[in-house]
Amino acid sequence: MTDGDLDATDPRTLPGFFDALADGELLGGVCADCGQVLLPPRPACYACGSRAVDVEPQSPEGQIFSYTEVHTPPPAFAADAPYTVAVVELADGGRLLGRVAADYADVTIGDAVELTVREPTATEQEIALDYEHDWPVHVFEPR
Amino acid sequence: MPEPVIASVGASPLGRTDLPGRDLFSVALGEAFDELPDPADIVEAVYVGNQSESYEHQIMYGTLLAEWAGLRHVPAERVEGCAAAGALALRHAVKDVRNGEHEAVLACGVEKMTSAGTSGATDALSAAFDRAIEQRSGITAPSQYALLAQRYLHETDATERDLAKIAVKNHGNAARNPRAQFPKEIDVATVLESDPVAPPLKLYDCAPVGDGAAAVLVTTAELAADLDQPQVHVAGSGASANNIAVAERDMTDIAGARIAAETAYEEAGIDVAAVDIAEVHDAFTVCEALLAEAAGFAPAGTGYQSYQPPAERADGWTDVQLSPSGGLKARGHPIGATGLLQALEAYEQLTGAAGDRAVEDAETALLLNEGGVADAVTVGHVLTTAEAQ
Repeated sequence: MTDGDLDATDPRTLPGFFDALADGELLGGVCADCGQVLLPPRPACYACGSRAVDVEPQSPEGQIFSYTEVHTPPPAFAADAPYTVAVVELADGGRLLGRVAADYADVTIGDAVELTVREPTATEQEIALDYEHDWPVHVFEPR
Repeated sequence: MPEPVIASVGASPLGRTDLPGRDLFSVALGEAFDELPDPADIVEAVYVGNQSESYEHQIMYGTLLAEWAGLRHVPAERVEGCAAAGALALRHAVKDVRNGEHEAVLACGVEKMTSAGTSGATDALSAAFDRAIEQRSGITAPSQYALLAQRYLHETDATERDLAKIAVKNHGNAARNPRAQFPKEIDVATVLESDPVAPPLKLYDCAPVGDGAAAVLVTTAELAADLDQPQVHVAGSGASANNIAVAERDMTDIAGARIAAETAYEEAGIDVAAVDIAEVHDAFTVCEALLAEAAGFAPAGTGYQSYQPPAERADGWTDVQLSPSGGLKARGHPIGATGLLQALEAYEQLTGAAGDRAVEDAETALLLNEGGVADAVTVGHVLTTAEAQ
């Protein structure tokens, strides 16, 4: 193992991943042994256990794998409801959950979407932990 | 090695109650020890399944409940694994007895979910999801399971009406269960016309929020006999963690549940066809379909037929009866207690104490208890009658 020197600039940590995402770059871990994509990157591959994880830019383009609409949100997101969320399969093979900037009725499995990034809203800032304040929020836009 | 058995069970009322968590526990413990010596005369260790400190601003539940049971200076700890906490507590108790460390261990679970309304429960449950990506996207328990349901309906012949019929079946079972939170029959239209929560899931696809506690006494077979208690053998136990994020898992092949069940079968030395009854984690209707497949009861894509009589299901189905208690859906789902309520149902079924809902000739039961979303963590147990053992 060689991760003893991990620090917050490393994309295999959450601060490192979100720093890159704030600049518009979606980074994934890619297992050097089995090819599994890890979103966000992390020190070990869940598919095979290898710790040989490379960090590579991922395409922001993908397709809706599954989706729903939240009618009973957590209290902090009450003003947003109802809103659409989805699991998206990205072009490079990773899967990521996120909000979709479209009405539920206008979404279906297989729809093309693109990951975009925005700053957290004032409400999101209120519930953020101290170390999360600069972390951007990703949203999938229909293509 | 000593043979671990369940020697006694008890539960509090389930649903909206006026009792805090520790008092719910006292009620459950009182039932379990009604015909036994005091806990202090028997119990050597305590495990408490408990989901969240946010309901009562209380951790240290191991210490607290040991004290409330009159047990001092015994090992006692809270076990955390969201809704699988109860079965994890049971598993720890079983292992302690099997490895000879203790002769009698109390596995219990408690949750005071109604302390801060629906929004409080929604918020507390959301802590089970990955903070970095899932929580910050505003996902909830129903919407996570809706993602599984949407995918299941996409990949199989199942319809929303099939999922509704699972809810109808489980309410029918609960109508014969005096412990159930919702002991009443419902019809398909009631489910299909209920309010959307996270499409395709509607209100009546979802297990309720509710309070509850359960207590299960695990002992050696010898001690249970000395206590003159009906005993049910814990023949197998398995557990498996999978990724915390739903997106990174197979959303229709619930691998963690499959591994937990297969591990329990192997340890018990049984084939899946031997299972007569199963209490599975039907927090949402689609879960019963998915878990019927993961447990090996149903061929892939046919688990939704769990509501049908065995003779009318697809080829390859076993004759198992699912959720005779009414399941999480209608019996109730006080998170940390749920895995132990499953064990309680199996104990009553296998000792001839299930009354009107008894499944005829039931000798072997599978319990599947999940935490997080679906198989983020799954615990499986095989319980058998002394005769089958």
